[in-house]
Amino acid sequence: MTDKLIDRYLDDLREDVRDLPRRRQEELVAEIRDHIDSALAEMPTRDDAGVRNILERLGDPADIADEARERMGIPKPKAGFRETAAVILLLIGGILIPIIGWIIGLILLWSSPVWTSRDKWIGSLIIPGGLMLPFEFFFFASYTCSGSDPCGPSGLQQAAITLGFAIAVAAPIVTAIYLARRAAALSRD
Amino acid sequence: MRHMVASGHNSAGLIAQLRRGVLEYCVLAMLESEERYAFDLVRALAEATGMVTSEGTIYPMLSRLRRDGTVETTWSESPSGPPRRYYRLTVKGSRALKEFRDEWIRFRDSVDTLLKGDES
Repeated sequence: MTDKLIDRYLDDLREDVRDLPRRRQEELVAEIRDHIDSALAEMPTRDDAGVRNILERLGDPADIADEARERMGIPKPKAGFRETAAVILLLIGGILIPIIGWIIGLILLWSSPVWTSRDKWIGSLIIPGGLMLPFEFFFFASYTCSGSDPCGPSGLQQAAITLGFAIAVAAPIVTAIYLARRAAALSRD
Repeated sequence: MRHMVASGHNSAGLIAQLRRGVLEYCVLAMLESEERYAFDLVRALAEATGMVTSEGTIYPMLSRLRRDGTVETTWSESPSGPPRRYYRLTVKGSRALKEFRDEWIRFRDSVDTLLKGDES
């Protein structure tokens, strides 16, 4: 448990300093880890309360990251053109230029210093292609069913298709809103 | 110093910037008579000044001082725990401290005189 608390703290710190030059990130995380180890070495027993106290005295990893940026004269990354383009292309890029448009959005997403890796995974996995899939499906379905022959599926199938379609449309839109709001929140000072 | 201009109308921000600037010289002063290892330095600084609410924020400052060349470090094995990084003042550092000390005393005296002005 104590190790888990420390690991989580250091992971948070790594995440918060992700926009700093790589060597500075490693240096800072190593210094904080040494600090924790030194503090542990002074403790008679290694218990949760003691570890919590050490981490509390160290302070919020986000504050340490802010201080590091301030001392290095590096401005906090702000959402801009890249982030706006990423959100738009992830959503409808696949419709504008099939597949490639979405992949460009994906590259912009992962190269942005603003979002955390958790945000990036959400943006990548929900849902690959964005609105491309439901768009193609809608186009394809209306095309094959044009004409005089009745080719529609049964009532139950129809309901399942409608539900799947609704999810395929809603999920990428919700993700796009989520990414936009995260970018705004993470850009705040 | 460049930070001080930005928050001119915000006294909490100004105090924070003032602390940040002064704290560097507190570190140099603590290293004047003896070298110290990082953990000890950070704990002592936090306890002595009461100006530090988050010990972790001292490390970016130490890194800055190393790069400025006012302090230098050496590694040494420790009887318990990880190898210790010892900090010591450089010639440049002691010169910077001396300059700051003279400047600070003048600054402090004149600000004190002005702030007390109405009472006397």
